[in-house]
Amino acid sequence: MKSRNKWITALITVMLSFIITSNFGITQVDAKKDDGELKVAMEANYQPYNWTQTTDKNGAVPIEGSRTYANGYDVKIAKIIGKQLHRKVVVVKTEWDGLLPALTSGKADLIIAGMSPTAERAKAINFTKPYRNSTFVVITKVNSKYANAKTLNDFKGAKLTAQQGTSHYALIKQLKGAKRQPAMRDFAAMRQSLISGTIDGYIAEDTESTSFKMVDPDIKAIPISKMAGFRISKEDSTTAIGIAKPNKDLLKQVNQVLATIPNSERTKLMTTAISQQPKTDETSKKGKQDPWLVSVWKQFGGMILSGIGMTLLLASVGTIAGFFIGLFVGIIRTIPTPTSRGKRWFSKFINWLLSVYIEVFRGTPMMVQAAVIYYGIAQFWHINIDRTLAALVIVSINTGAYLAEIIRGGIISTPEGQFEAASALGMTHNQRMWHIILPQAIKNCLPSITNEFIVNIKDTSVLSIISVSELFFVGTTIASQTFKFFPTYLTISAIYLILTFTITRIFNLIEKHLQGNKNYNLMANQVQVGTAQDMEAKK
Amino acid sequence: MTESNETILSLQHLQKTFGQHQVLRDISLNIKKGEIATIIGPSGGGKSTTLRCINLLEEPTAGEIHFHGENVLEQNYNRNIYRAKVGMVFQQFDLFENKNVLANCMVGQELVLKRSKDEARKIALANLEKVGMEQYINARPSQLSGGQQQRVAIARAISMDPEILLFDEPTSALDPEMVGEVLSVMKNLATTGLTMIIVTHEMAFAKEISDKMFFISDGVIAEQGNPDQLFNHPQNEKTAKFLSNFQNN
Ligand SMILES: Nc1ncnc2c1ncn2[C@@H]1O[C@H](COP(=O)(O)OP(=O)(O)OP(=O)(O)O)[C@@H](O)[C@H]1O
Ligand SMILES: [Mg+2]
Repeated sequence: MKSRNKWITALITVMLSFIITSNFGITQVDAKKDDGELKVAMEANYQPYNWTQTTDKNGAVPIEGSRTYANGYDVKIAKIIGKQLHRKVVVVKTEWDGLLPALTSGKADLIIAGMSPTAERAKAINFTKPYRNSTFVVITKVNSKYANAKTLNDFKGAKLTAQQGTSHYALIKQLKGAKRQPAMRDFAAMRQSLISGTIDGYIAEDTESTSFKMVDPDIKAIPISKMAGFRISKEDSTTAIGIAKPNKDLLKQVNQVLATIPNSERTKLMTTAISQQPKTDETSKKGKQDPWLVSVWKQFGGMILSGIGMTLLLASVGTIAGFFIGLFVGIIRTIPTPTSRGKRWFSKFINWLLSVYIEVFRGTPMMVQAAVIYYGIAQFWHINIDRTLAALVIVSINTGAYLAEIIRGGIISTPEGQFEAASALGMTHNQRMWHIILPQAIKNCLPSITNEFIVNIKDTSVLSIISVSELFFVGTTIASQTFKFFPTYLTISAIYLILTFTITRIFNLIEKHLQGNKNYNLMANQVQVGTAQDMEAKK
Repeated sequence: MTESNETILSLQHLQKTFGQHQVLRDISLNIKKGEIATIIGPSGGGKSTTLRCINLLEEPTAGEIHFHGENVLEQNYNRNIYRAKVGMVFQQFDLFENKNVLANCMVGQELVLKRSKDEARKIALANLEKVGMEQYINARPSQLSGGQQQRVAIARAISMDPEILLFDEPTSALDPEMVGEVLSVMKNLATTGLTMIIVTHEMAFAKEISDKMFFISDGVIAEQGNPDQLFNHPQNEKTAKFLSNFQNN
């Protein structure tokens, strides 16, 4: 079981606990969906508890909003609960840090995600009785000099790590003399590090060692739970199901269902789950040994393509919509202050509002904005926005804030003479703007707009916090399923590079086009466009 | 240099202050229809500021500007129409960088005077021909020499059929060999009966073309009169001293 002690995004916690502890009375979330679906939140990325697969074999259940499926020990437990409650199980695939918000905002009914019922979490949500107890091991290589450790003191000098933000990481302190390495993001990363020799081992549950052994027999798991002096709290060594606080009935029902699953049955489910988890490596060893890229393509090609599509959609819609927002804000902020008093106040107020918008969205990480908007709106107003729509809105608003300042700068830096020449012809402010200033300002801003587009392609990866399956999210899924950490991310990088490179070229062409012709043609004879009178006059 | 008796523009006790700095103290002058007026004077005296006040690029601090007898500084006076009738040619040309030569001469006609595209085009071409730039209609401003740009700027201004045309040192930014072409365009314009107010340091040109000259120094009109009066019988010491610098012209 995973029990992350502190949140990666501290801001989200602060906000969340604020919402929950301040009894607004509107945190009441009606999680009982009338459509009879039981929405279960999990990462679908944490074998053998839960994982993503592309087909529904072995009784996998569909993942909401995608064409993929989830399976694993958690899913099997969820299905038993769903069956007894007569509700169809649907998985809401969510990043670890998004799990609690998903529950409290009503986007999911249950969290079944290998989560430990820590006291801290219990402040925000309720937990059922445990649905699994587990023991801890240090996973190392068979030929490691720590492979025969018998006591907690035998790990002296070992470079050990564990997953970021989990209680596992704190356990390393109990192994006297071990050199604690920086925590890692996921198991794929730790396996890769162990094989490459940058660490001597990592602390995990026994289930992790079982599944790792299936792809790599050269590893060894050293149980530490029973070693003398090892201390662990009960809440850290169990796994329970999370339910939103107001949902008392559901809590009772789920506890009743769990009571009907005996320990032997649970062990059997776990064994089955471990045997069913995706193992790309083994199948390819048995088969014709496809090259890695080919086999990944066969299995995940569709996912990668839709990830690229989503990334491009987010970046281009975000940049285009953000451009118009930025244009609008930039124009408003450069309107000269009106002379009449009332209007001056109004314009001051609008300007203040717009600068707040710009400061807020430029001054906070997009990841936090995404969490606040997506989960916050659901929590306060019970409006369930589609996550793709939410992502589009967030990227657009965010880009708008940046481009507003860039466009304002472009307008201001247009030479004063251009304004004056236009005024001298009698043009109104709007005519000056649209016909003279903006075309020049936009042309001058184009490099910055290109840059913003490029940044968007890369930075939309933070939207994985609200589980938008863009390219990076897809990459994470593939890496944790194939355990090919390095090649996967290398491939994903290459795709990002191709995307950004192509887009830079396209924009360079547009820029060149806007520069106009390098040469102009002299008009040899304009007589044909002159009037008859002109011709007369010439004679 | 046709002249009538109708006063078309009159400045009355115009003042302009930038912050603490009073640049124009008391400027009063009358311009009659068809008159060619030049403004001369030492650098920093307030010549440009006077022109810019006439065109309302600067808001006068005090005083009145009358155009056909109406005070243009009144609250509900239509300033944009007024500006269309009072054209301006700038020292730095200030052609619209995003438009080619022809479009520069059309955009004001279409937007402000609401002329049709065809009409605007016809007028623009006729005026470009007047300044000898009809061959360059497809060029962008940055592709032209300074003299050529200034001629286009003049064509742009006269395409609006202004009643008065203001020039602020139209040749100061030009290389010497290009000054002549612009001045000759202006001389041609002067014969068409257009009212012109010209700020210039080209004394020979001013002497030749002016019906009336104003010597502005320290924000006041220190002296005014016809070229003969100013050049040959200056009443004010400052005028005499200033013009002595140009004796060899
Ligand atoms: N926008 C402004 N803000 C502050 N001071 C200004 C501004 N414009 C002009 N001035 C000042 O007003 C004074 C008169 O300037 P103006 O440009 O009218 O002089 P000028 O007679 O045209 O001189 P020149 O022959 O050098 O062009 C100068 O001292 C100048 O510094
Ligand atoms: Mg000047």
